[in-house]
Amino acid sequence: MKILIADDDRMSRRLIEKTLEREGYEVIAVDNGRLALQQLSLSDGPRMALLDWMMPELDGPGVCREVRKQHDRPYIHIVLVTSRGSKQDVVAGLEAGADDYLTKPWDAAELTARLRVGQRILQLEDRLVEARETMRFKATHDPLTSLFNRGSIVDLLARELKRTRREKGSTVVMLGDLDHFKSVNDTYGHVVGDEVLREVARRLMASIRSYDFVGRYGGEEFLIVLNNCDATEAVARAQEVRNKVASHPVQTIRGPLQITLSLGVLASPDWDLHLVEEILGQADSALYQAKADGRNCVRLAKPTPVHDVPARLVK
Amino acid sequence: MTPQGHRPSQDTVNRTELLARVDDHEMLCELIVIFKEDFPQLLLSLQQAVAREDMKNVEAASHALKGMLRMLSVTQAAVTASRLEWMGREGKTPGMAGALTLLENQVADLLPELDTYTVKAKP
Repeated sequence: MKILIADDDRMSRRLIEKTLEREGYEVIAVDNGRLALQQLSLSDGPRMALLDWMMPELDGPGVCREVRKQHDRPYIHIVLVTSRGSKQDVVAGLEAGADDYLTKPWDAAELTARLRVGQRILQLEDRLVEARETMRFKATHDPLTSLFNRGSIVDLLARELKRTRREKGSTVVMLGDLDHFKSVNDTYGHVVGDEVLREVARRLMASIRSYDFVGRYGGEEFLIVLNNCDATEAVARAQEVRNKVASHPVQTIRGPLQITLSLGVLASPDWDLHLVEEILGQADSALYQAKADGRNCVRLAKPTPVHDVPARLVK
Repeated sequence: MTPQGHRPSQDTVNRTELLARVDDHEMLCELIVIFKEDFPQLLLSLQQAVAREDMKNVEAASHALKGMLRMLSVTQAAVTASRLEWMGREGKTPGMAGALTLLENQVADLLPELDTYTVKAKP
């Protein structure tokens, strides 16, 4: 584990460095507070720090205060090491953001024991963060396909539409539905149906750019949001997605199955005055048209004239 | 308080405490080398700061000396350095020159004594 030592006293710094190296730490040693803060601000910087109180440029409590302002990186366990041992000093150090306090001259056994306590706290924090991220993923993703779930993909669409309007850009919305999927379930069973959904999800993910979004909108319905996609490219991009799904059979436990996808497509500039629900409604109508036209095809939604849009939907 | 000008007759370093803290001979030698490099310059800085009554630097130099002396268990001198640090922080000039003289006397034989540690500890 990486640990930072910041102390302008060469002897103290060297002795701590040696003691901690013996304990297996990867030690980074600096001699002033500014360099300490630089190290602790790095994305892969140390998660533990031993800071001297009095240092040139920025003192130990000052480093603590600056580190605690950083909310975008994992927690750093900070121990202040100093000869200032009054209760007032201890309180001031802890108030500045230190987690622990050691008085010089320190005892090696106490120092390493306190650092082990710090490690346990960091491990606990890591487990909590991991649990939170797992819960966040479960709350926003479909468990079968690992795509965004309906709520999340609709939220992302709303966010992208706002951004698009603000930046006068273009977002392309695709609503896709697997053709004859009910018969897959009825003929081969739901286990095979699930295999198909997982493979289609994988192919959809493979057909978009890293900054686009795909979500499972319903049972066999998928919503795709393409950011900064020119409206003139909307149909071509949708055809690429459709081709990707239909390119080769899906391998299942019951053998290969040819699967196709119908898509309704809409480009946001054509629908600038509409709410998300209305945009999805228009994409759904285009999808319905694709189904009516024989499936495994793409249909572009046609804009409704502005005067036909209900007043409640006009911003 | 030890009278000004007093020269300690016993060892300046608390040997038991030092060897308990630094039980690695190689490390001890390394620390002593660092001390011998840094200590004279810091003492000179303190002497100049006291002469100029530059209290900020009295505090800074005394603080640094205190840390180094404590590290090598030079207990009495560390107490004096701590007193000088306090004087510097509080701006107390009366007695400052005397405290400096006391510190100078307390560390007068320190460097040769530290040399014996590097020799004594060798196998």
